Amino acid sequence: MSSDVILVIVVATALAFDFTNGFHDTANVVATSISTGAARPQVAIGFASLLNFVGAFISISVAATVAKDVVDAEVITPTIVFAGLIGAIAWNLITWYFGLPSSSSHALIGGVVGSAVAAVGFDAVIAEGLVGKVLIPAVVAPVLAFLVAGAAIGLSYRVVGRQRPGIVSRGYRYGQIVSGGLLALAHGTNDAQKTMGIITLALIANGTLGAEADPPFWVIASSATAIALGTYSGGWRIIKTTGTRIIKMDPAQGFSAQGAGAAVILASTHFGFPLSTTHVINGGVMGAGAGKRLSAVRWGVAGNIFVAWLLTLPAAAAIGGLTYGFTRIFGSGALGPVLVTLMALSLVAAAFARRAQRGAPVTAAGG
Amino acid sequence: MIATIVHTNELLQTIAASVIAGIGVTFLFSLGIWGAGQFTELSRGERPLAATAAALVGAVALLCVAGAVVTGIVVMTHK
Repeated sequence: MSSDVILVIVVATALAFDFTNGFHDTANVVATSISTGAARPQVAIGFASLLNFVGAFISISVAATVAKDVVDAEVITPTIVFAGLIGAIAWNLITWYFGLPSSSSHALIGGVVGSAVAAVGFDAVIAEGLVGKVLIPAVVAPVLAFLVAGAAIGLSYRVVGRQRPGIVSRGYRYGQIVSGGLLALAHGTNDAQKTMGIITLALIANGTLGAEADPPFWVIASSATAIALGTYSGGWRIIKTTGTRIIKMDPAQGFSAQGAGAAVILASTHFGFPLSTTHVINGGVMGAGAGKRLSAVRWGVAGNIFVAWLLTLPAAAAIGGLTYGFTRIFGSGALGPVLVTLMALSLVAAAFARRAQRGAPVTAAGG
Repeated sequence: MIATIVHTNELLQTIAASVIAGIGVTFLFSLGIWGAGQFTELSRGERPLAATAAALVGAVALLCVAGAVVTGIVVMTHK
């Protein structure tokens, strides 16, 4: 009975995490289209939300990696998964509060690894999966997006360089409807699957599913719905800040950045690599900027992303581990997770209230 | 050992697919825009044959873009 209570808490927490992922990743997905005037904000956000939903249904490779290749599902309990989720959410909130760019995906994996190590020891971690499927792709993917976008924009300018600017801008704006759509689809498929993987891991840990089971349909559908609703809700605040926060790009750069980001995320998703979609999209945007003029890139932002990337896994792991230790004070039942949930809800409410009072801008920490 | 951990084959395929799709699709789409631009210019200059050829190149390039997008999604859904 108590394990079922913990399972319900884990599923609710994972879906809340998925919602927040969509909420603060909206900026990354739609910003380029809005910035170049390819789509009106409301249309771009609605379109992105719909395609995030659709994207969640097209693959389960990443979900399988998160559920089976990072930690040993046989030794994991729902409480470990719960503590990992709290580690990820807490780190996301801390970075959101201080305006640091961070990856929800790395926080999620770091949190679960940290709580698993605290509970079982390092034997619970599948080093091969963690290094080969998470850490190395995490480094390669943003660099790849940067290079692909840079090469693509260089080639584009050579091809259309002598054409009338009007027809070129109009053409790439139309193209951005497709490239922006693909990027939203890619975001939905990679990020929603992380939540599917975590819920599936909890279901396996609870004995509800077999060790080799794939995510059930209700898990896929609920994860798709949560990320789509988050994307739609997050968008309305982005409208206010888009004009001031985003680098002005021309439509060709927007098309190249979105195309590169979508290509890298979709290809990685196909092979089951859970990426930080935020880092990949930022890599694409910087590549498209650098392809035109190297000084156009905000290298300081790139440095912040790098530092946040270095910190996210160990910090989320530490919070996940501490959370697991705290829940164990109250035994192995549901009391610990219930208390932690109540405390977390109070802290989230307090953080939002304080942030709202200060009127600080929304920052895009993302997946 | 290192090759096993790194998943070299899958990583290389990801890199190849990203480069081909990311650069290839942008190039083809740019060719489509070039075709449309050239068609407009050459039509104004009363060179119908060259205009038709440019339009054809542009149309084929855009069809290839559509084909690449559909192929990519089909590949994604079949694993």
